[in-house]
Amino acid sequence: MKLAKKECVVMLLAGGQGTRLGELTKKIAKPSIPFGGKYRIIDFPLSNCVNSGLDTIGVLTQYQPHILNSYIGDGKSWDLDRMNGGIQILPPYQRSGDSQWYLGTANAIYQNIDFIDQYDPKYVLILSGDHIYKMDYSLMIEYHKEKNADCTISVIDVPFIEASRFGILNSNRNGRILDFEEKPKTPKSTKASMGIYVFSWNKLKKYLKIDNKNSDSSNDFGKDIIPLMLKSGEKVYSYEFKGYWKDVGTINSLWQANMDLIGNSGLDLSGDWVIYSRHAERPPHYISKNSIVKNSIVSEGAVILGSVENSVIFSGVMIGENAEIRDSVIMADVQIKKNSIINYSIIDEDVVVGPNLKIGTPKEKDSDITLIPRESIIYNAQEV
Amino acid sequence: MNCLGIIFSDMQDWNITELASHRSVAAIPFGGRYRLIDFPLSNIVNSDINKVCIITKSNYRSLMEHVGSGKDWDLSRKKGGILIFPPYALGENHGLFQGRLDALKRVLDYIVSSKEKYVVLSDCDMIYNINYRDVIDYHEKKNSDITAVYTRTNIEKDSSIHKILYELDDDGRADDILVYPITKGTYNVGLNTWVMDKDFIESLIYDAIARNYKDFSYDVLARKVHSLRIYGYEYTGYFAHIDSLQSYYENSLGLLNANNLQRLFYSKTGPIYTKTKDSTPTRYCTDANVKNSLIASGCVIEGNVENSIIFRGVKIDKNASVKNSIIMQHSAIGENAKLDSIITDTYVQVTNSRILLGYSNCPFFIKKYSVV
Repeated sequence: MKLAKKECVVMLLAGGQGTRLGELTKKIAKPSIPFGGKYRIIDFPLSNCVNSGLDTIGVLTQYQPHILNSYIGDGKSWDLDRMNGGIQILPPYQRSGDSQWYLGTANAIYQNIDFIDQYDPKYVLILSGDHIYKMDYSLMIEYHKEKNADCTISVIDVPFIEASRFGILNSNRNGRILDFEEKPKTPKSTKASMGIYVFSWNKLKKYLKIDNKNSDSSNDFGKDIIPLMLKSGEKVYSYEFKGYWKDVGTINSLWQANMDLIGNSGLDLSGDWVIYSRHAERPPHYISKNSIVKNSIVSEGAVILGSVENSVIFSGVMIGENAEIRDSVIMADVQIKKNSIINYSIIDEDVVVGPNLKIGTPKEKDSDITLIPRESIIYNAQEV
Repeated sequence: MNCLGIIFSDMQDWNITELASHRSVAAIPFGGRYRLIDFPLSNIVNSDINKVCIITKSNYRSLMEHVGSGKDWDLSRKKGGILIFPPYALGENHGLFQGRLDALKRVLDYIVSSKEKYVVLSDCDMIYNINYRDVIDYHEKKNSDITAVYTRTNIEKDSSIHKILYELDDDGRADDILVYPITKGTYNVGLNTWVMDKDFIESLIYDAIARNYKDFSYDVLARKVHSLRIYGYEYTGYFAHIDSLQSYYENSLGLLNANNLQRLFYSKTGPIYTKTKDSTPTRYCTDANVKNSLIASGCVIEGNVENSIIFRGVKIDKNASVKNSIIMQHSAIGENAKLDSIITDTYVQVTNSRILLGYSNCPFFIKKYSVV
């Protein structure tokens, strides 16, 4: 069967474990981590695609894919249930000859060359499911065309002290990249790669094949493909993105990104650039006559009988009488029973706490975030 | 489920002129994020019925926009699915239908060509959460011609005129059926929901054509109560009848009662589905003060809200005070404004420092798109 030609195919890398998130990613892949009251991280790249007019997306999965797979379903929540294109989940598969797991980001794409070739695209957009941001990819593809580039890398200005945590790009006045260093000790610029690449497909295919023959390669875009293309003199350009962009790869950054929603500080999800998501059908949330809810966001189906301050409350959360929640992220369907006090914590989905318990230490300069893993049941043994 | 659903969007639209003047009764917003059609549609879907038609009367644009392809109710199907019938002229019967039987005559072809064994009819002004499978089982067991769903409830004199009352014998068969009586007391009040065999409803329609019957309640139920086997099926869950602005107001605020909320939305039968809007979670600012209220998503609350229902996308500014009120979607309440016992329709703007007062037995209604 011949499929309709697409100008650009999107490949979303969603197989990463996200080890720095500890218990949060023990059972689920990083892109399916809940965020902001009703979303999961993958909603951001998917919604950005749809809002940018891109409708053909392959999602590369490997680590703990079940929740992600069922979340995506047929893609209708993002309007991606399409006649031509739409969303497809691409796990590693068996073939005649050598079959293997995805060995790195570039290898994952290499193993799916046939998938991309079905659509005979001119460009391929590579995304990861690790970041919270709103971005119009169509502008970046336009830029790629204007520069007649072989590869375009999206960059963002980061503070100089943090630059050594990122892949840093050094480019000339025209935007053409001169060199690329992964986590440099003495960064030459503050332009960090966002892990978003537009490739001309014929060029990418060529370098994926060369890279695959190199047994010393780690098969990674940042470490191998980009340096190889630069060395070979291909036209690699940087595209500067301005706006809110947050890597949520650590417990602290995930907590902070959630908090950025509350005061509308930098991250505003209302407006025309809608972030779509899939969610359970719930009635409006209920706030009782004895409750206090301040400086927080609350999602559908929550029932709040206690008090909530500086927190993000997901859908279906139940907060009992006299319970107090401060500086915390309470994920979907958590039950906090009466008189329990939660401070500076991330409570993962389906946890039951209390009654009469204290979780977390009040947020001060050097206090740490407490993380309660999903489906935990925590109660006071003396009261049972 | 081997059953066809037929929903009447506007059987009683003359009762709620404020809310239904520019929309179908079916499209009246209710409960913070729903429209009345969501309740019968969800009942149908939760009962595994996957073929349903909606019979409309007039002003059905907002209803069609809400229902769309039916995919939010899982009714966008190859087999079955949802069909909206615009008003349909039949032979000499031009113009709007003049009663339920008249409406059914106009969709006769659709009913005849359906292959389902049973048909369930329901309206949009009655709110309840039921599994029709149980009603159909009862219908089979009693071998009845028509099974009417009722709930036993106390009615007061002035609200009784829009209800059908069933008097049943010990076996549950109807002895007497009173249509829109003026009375008070505890009765078996019909939910305007009936189950019939498809073959039987066809014969009813043929008979109605031959005798020029137009009204199902008078010409079938009341007239044929003894010649047909009409049985009552008792429903005991949450029930509300929206037949006036006052009952709309009372039943809306009634959702603030935890027991009502639980029985309507968290019933074992299943959830209530509605059109997804992908609005953000609601944001509460530092000065927000909210008590005993139901708040939908996509709102920004900076002021005070008490005993109220707030729909999606509402904005309540600093120091504004909203009490005992229903604020429909995309309305905005300005700074220092005070509202008590108010119903605002959608897209209403109340500017800064306005003071609007209704009373609990006489809520004040503000029309769609008004700027106060």
